[in-house]
Amino acid sequence: MKKNWPGRGLIWGFLVLLAIICLASMRGSDLGSPGALLNYLGRVTGILGLAMLLLAAALIARVPGFDRHFGGLTKLWKTHHFLGAGALLLLMAHPVLLALGAAETSLSAALSTLFPPLSNIGTWLGWGALLFMMVFLAPSFSFFGQPEYQRWKWIHRLAGPAVILSLAHILYFGRTLTAGLDMALWVVLALLAVGAVVWRLILSGRMGSLRFEVAEVASVANNLVELSLKPAGRRKLNYQAGQFVYLTPYDKSLDAGYGEEHPYTISSSPTEDRLRIAIKDLGDASRAIRTIQPGSRVHIEGPYGDFFPSDPDKGDQPAPPELWVAGGIGITPFLGRARHLAATGQSLDICLVYCVQDEARARFLKELESLAEQIPGMKLITHYFYREGPLDGEFLARHCPELDQRSVYICGPLPLTDLAKNLVINAGVRRKDIHTEEFELL
Amino acid sequence: MKKLVYTAFVAFWASIFTLVSVQALSDHKKEPSDEESLGTYTLEEVAEHDSLDDCWMAIEGKVYDFSNYIPEHPTPPSVMKPWCGEEATEGMRTKGYGRDHSPAAWEMMEDYLVGRLKEE
Repeated sequence: MKKNWPGRGLIWGFLVLLAIICLASMRGSDLGSPGALLNYLGRVTGILGLAMLLLAAALIARVPGFDRHFGGLTKLWKTHHFLGAGALLLLMAHPVLLALGAAETSLSAALSTLFPPLSNIGTWLGWGALLFMMVFLAPSFSFFGQPEYQRWKWIHRLAGPAVILSLAHILYFGRTLTAGLDMALWVVLALLAVGAVVWRLILSGRMGSLRFEVAEVASVANNLVELSLKPAGRRKLNYQAGQFVYLTPYDKSLDAGYGEEHPYTISSSPTEDRLRIAIKDLGDASRAIRTIQPGSRVHIEGPYGDFFPSDPDKGDQPAPPELWVAGGIGITPFLGRARHLAATGQSLDICLVYCVQDEARARFLKELESLAEQIPGMKLITHYFYREGPLDGEFLARHCPELDQRSVYICGPLPLTDLAKNLVINAGVRRKDIHTEEFELL
Repeated sequence: MKKLVYTAFVAFWASIFTLVSVQALSDHKKEPSDEESLGTYTLEEVAEHDSLDDCWMAIEGKVYDFSNYIPEHPTPPSVMKPWCGEEATEGMRTKGYGRDHSPAAWEMMEDYLVGRLKEE
């Protein structure tokens, strides 16, 4: 049952190895004086920072299935985000350390290290890369407030020039590692990064996305619709219950979001002919999509996510009992899974705790109740915030027997996810048995 | 994470701004140059100092004694050895692979100045 995600381990392992190689490449003269040591540290922060930047770029490929090596796309984005943060921190330290190293000679040497004559192209390429990084990462780290999604996406494309300028910069200056190793490192990382960008911007549209047609738009509530899509191309989407896709609508009558991709959870069972996607009004594009016309075309890329086990019923061993905690629209992956269990006639010991503000917000409740009747072992418990207050351990224990024996799946807003996680840990659930899916892609 | 990155971002610009302003505010008057009082040497005289223990170089019309600097230089001594006793402007300007030394290195070099090269 324990999930194994080699992706993150490989990346951090590679960076640790690179740090060790840098340490091994240290020369006696690098310890000759404080200035020499600062200069050495300045160079090493540059190498590690650039490696992190290129690895972060390599992760944007978003090839369906690849994200499972990271525990799903949201966890892969988290790794990408950490790499980006690490790259910016190290690459800001890089010029400051080099300047401080030169300050041992004189203040003007420090300044001319930072701002040399224009003929010193290498340094200015580095400045260009760093300034581009600050601009394209400013919205990611909310330097100046929370950005709007499409604007953030547009600004984030400046990562391209930043990567190119930083590679040109290292071509000028690489001298810390031995020449062959230096070249091999940057060529491999640059190829990974460029390959990822080429896939994302050029190939994924043709090879990775599938054509569908809107067959039906069902209004579940005033701010929630469920789209039924039928395949319009030759290839079918192979997915598992609870995964999600990026959907791009091509309906010119939409007020917003034409040709823009957004991530949405699949709510259908993989056995169904049609793909169903539940969409809550959370922004301009998801609000506009309520008026999408049946018959219009959409592109689907995916599936992504690694929320539920791909094979819960292993051979003769019965599947372990489960606890599902859903918050608001976080019900959709569970809805997909319950529909799938019912469609395939499986039985499973499940406690589904559905947390919503009040009765009016309990979307799909009727269908869930009927699914709970169809699936032997499934129990549906609603938790209304207005009546019960925040979810607590006593509530869980009262409704869900043998809590500590269960595999736990949590999907909902971040505060609920954190709360539910703490509650089940306190109830004795092992961390490796807790699986979360976050909606916020950072 | 966001706070940490933002704090580092502010700290970065604060330290750059501090360096620039300290430099701008500090006294610009250079020490009176004592280059005049230094001797002049011919290339033949420079050529007599051609070992790692006694290493002089002529660079852009000036003569330097790098004997004490060689252990501190980032590359192994063998890289500098061929330039001892020579006109070494090319070595300084290209490092042997087309890259100039940094402005800081050019400035640091002045500490090892011993005289001017006699024009022939």
